[in-house]
Amino acid sequence: MAGITIRGLSKRFGAGAAEPAAVADLTLDIKDNQFVTLLGPSGCGKTTTLRLIAGYITPDAGTIEVAGRPLSSPQSVVPPEARGMGMVFQNYAVWPHKTVFENVVFGLKLRKLGAAAARQKVADMLALVNLSGLEKRYPGELSGGQQQRVALARSLVVEPGILLLDEPLSNLDAKLRERMRTELKEIQRRTGITFVYVTHDQAEALALSDQVAVMSVGRLQQYGTPFEVYAHPANRMVADFMGLVNLVPGKVRDIKNGVATVELMPDLAVAIARAAGLALGERVDVAVRPENIRLSAPPELPGGQRATVTSHVFLGNISEYEVTLPPGPALRVQTHPLQQFRVGDEVAIEIDSTQCSAFPRVRGEPAQA
Amino acid sequence: MSSEAATPALSLRLARRTPRLEHFVMGGAIVALVILVVLPLMSLLFGSVRGEDGLSLDHFAEVLGGRLYVTALKNSLTLGAWTGLFSTIIGLTLAWAVARTDVPAKPLLQATATLSYLSPPFLTAIAFTYLFSPNAGLINVFLRDVAGLPWLTFNIFSMPGLVLVTVMHTFPFVYLLAASALQSVDASYEEAAQILGAGKLRTAVAITGPLVAPAVLSGALLGFVNAIALFGSQAIIGLPGRIVTLPTRIYALFDYPPEYGLASALSLVFVLITITALYLQRAFLARRSYVTLAGKGSRPQLLRLGRLRFVLLGIGIVIFIVSILAPFSTLIAVSFSKSWGLDFWKGLTLANYKFILFDYDVTRRAIQNSLLLATLAATAAVLLGAVIGWIDLRTRIPGRRLLDYFALIPLGLPGIVMAVALIQFWLAMPIALYGTLAILLLAYVGRYIPLGVRAANAALRQIDPSLEESAQILGASWLTTMREVTLPLIRPGLFAGWLLVFVPVIQELSASILLFSSSSITLAVAIYNLYETGYIEPVAALAMVNMVIIGAAIWLANMIGGGRILTRGDAGTGT
Repeated sequence: MAGITIRGLSKRFGAGAAEPAAVADLTLDIKDNQFVTLLGPSGCGKTTTLRLIAGYITPDAGTIEVAGRPLSSPQSVVPPEARGMGMVFQNYAVWPHKTVFENVVFGLKLRKLGAAAARQKVADMLALVNLSGLEKRYPGELSGGQQQRVALARSLVVEPGILLLDEPLSNLDAKLRERMRTELKEIQRRTGITFVYVTHDQAEALALSDQVAVMSVGRLQQYGTPFEVYAHPANRMVADFMGLVNLVPGKVRDIKNGVATVELMPDLAVAIARAAGLALGERVDVAVRPENIRLSAPPELPGGQRATVTSHVFLGNISEYEVTLPPGPALRVQTHPLQQFRVGDEVAIEIDSTQCSAFPRVRGEPAQA
Repeated sequence: MSSEAATPALSLRLARRTPRLEHFVMGGAIVALVILVVLPLMSLLFGSVRGEDGLSLDHFAEVLGGRLYVTALKNSLTLGAWTGLFSTIIGLTLAWAVARTDVPAKPLLQATATLSYLSPPFLTAIAFTYLFSPNAGLINVFLRDVAGLPWLTFNIFSMPGLVLVTVMHTFPFVYLLAASALQSVDASYEEAAQILGAGKLRTAVAITGPLVAPAVLSGALLGFVNAIALFGSQAIIGLPGRIVTLPTRIYALFDYPPEYGLASALSLVFVLITITALYLQRAFLARRSYVTLAGKGSRPQLLRLGRLRFVLLGIGIVIFIVSILAPFSTLIAVSFSKSWGLDFWKGLTLANYKFILFDYDVTRRAIQNSLLLATLAATAAVLLGAVIGWIDLRTRIPGRRLLDYFALIPLGLPGIVMAVALIQFWLAMPIALYGTLAILLLAYVGRYIPLGVRAANAALRQIDPSLEESAQILGASWLTTMREVTLPLIRPGLFAGWLLVFVPVIQELSASILLFSSSSITLAVAIYNLYETGYIEPVAALAMVNMVIIGAAIWLANMIGGGRILTRGDAGTGT
């Protein structure tokens, strides 16, 4: 099995200087046996990165090594067929003129495996992806989910050290997507193959990955575990992309022992533990996720922060509120569905400051994303 | 895994320096295109400016000043203009009738256009000489001797005669483009005009007309380009009537002693006209885009014509009779006649077929040669087209667009010009190709390479690159990927392209007429030569053989196009 080392990788399509780089100076260490996700909005360079790893395109700068062996550099690229990787495409790319069996056995034939051994391996693999008995079917006779499994089986049967997956679940309906997600994770755990998985769906990335690489406009924004990128986003872009977030404007009032006190309202301040890079008096945006705000019926005694409920949406497993802190900003809050308030109610709010991050304010950017 | 075995350094060097098979195949295709199209064209250019000593423009001076050449030029332009005009009148009428009215028997009208397009123009020309040659033409004889109406006779060997037989081949260009434009105009454009108070006529003039005009003009120009390039009908109809045109003038320049320089210069003038017309045609067609953009809207209401629709149907039937029924029933009748004349039906015979198929070795050889050449040329054009299309769509080789343009150049080359260019080029080469089957093959592949490239391009566009990439990442070499994935998937498209080349090659005359020798004679040339020598009845039999081969090929194409080879669905081919 193999880890992947990417150093200073850059790729620009088109010759024009105005053309932005698809991938810019990307450095990434993908460890052996890991499930790593390249996550980002469309056009962020994640698919280009994957195709660079596969060897379909030549980098403009930088190198890709697998298990210490250089595979890609601007001067030379080992062709995809000599890399021993597997790849699952977004559109499955199951060959329509070959049966399920012929599709899966293709790679084994290229490896000159004996007919009997190959037949056995294909049968085992089809069992693994729950396709036993469909060997003689053509892709046109299969559902989308089944085609997806054929594509997976075809890549896995040759036991690649690395499997590349390009948004493999995006064409499936929601239920099937969730089931395939579980199966993918299970297969990765069982085989120990390094998975490099491209998606724009942050929930998918959180559910599947050991490590998530969040990308935007060709650059790596953050590389860490799902918890890290969700709870402690490195910047505003990551915070915004990883799920719903309130960006509340504030000012750094105090920095003590690496803990910054940020004042959001005259009576409301949060203590941010990760204060590196913040300066006293600086204007910042504090990222607060809706589930880290608690609402409660206002206590009899005065004090504490009060807010007014301005809208309420019941979403089944949660309730979503918008509350306004007069005269300040509106906040989105998610609560347990059994906790119910009416529009116009006055509530007490409490922010879990251990789960907040603060980012320096960029001039010209709106506070509320 | 196979890759694990190779040391890193070794595989890196392999990737970098060793030329791989695909590089040889692609290089081969590029070289082939250069030899087929680029070099012959350059020798044409060079030949036209090569004087007694050094470069000179004498040939161009003669071609643009000499009475013989100016007359030919004038005749060609006159022919093209009249043909364009009548093609527009006939094509637009039929297109409007089919697309916008409730005229009955629409399939017959559509079939008229399709069959006219497919029937070899020089065979139509020959058929008309059987009916309208001034002295012996059957209808002329009938009118003069039986009906006593000599003033009604028609001399086919005249400019009107030439325009008549040419229009029958060219009106389908206008028909096809106009019909599709008329069908794709969004009805709401017309409805918007009507709700504002415009009447039917006003709407047609102010809205529909301008919307479909680019398509009609484009069809007329295509008709023009095709009309002036037809050597066969211009030789058969024009020469007896002393109407010399560009192709027949170029042909005459090869009478002993051949005037290569003049022929080259005249060819270039010819090409200039064709390319200009094609350029205008593209420009007009490009303006058509706003029609198709809105093409998803509602379909226009069909116009209720009442009794008038039978008048329209009558016009359609006359066109059908003149362009299809009359020429082909004449050819069939002549081919079974002992002697063509008013009482031909008294002596029906199979002797003509026996003569051309078994007794006469020249026609037998011609049939064999043409079948062989058409098979080889279609195969070569399609395979070359596949490689060129693949380079264009799947690689980032610099200059791949240029390759695509080179492959389209022959569209602007009349057949006889292609022949002149090939003669110029191969006479200068140390290999003696002139008069062999090989030079005919080169001419055919060169002429029809655009059809091969288009067919391959269309087929390749249907195949998502990921289908090839997934074979590659599994370890398949380029050759394996082609053999296992790409070729099986584009096979139906390539086969359709193969027939698209086969059909015109089996009836090719314009280039063959300059390139054949007695051993490499082809079907169309044999028909022309037999006709010239006055073998009236065997010519018709040979023409029928030609028609049967074309019919079989088209039937095969329909069988394959109708019942799709790939019925397994194409879920993996697109996103």
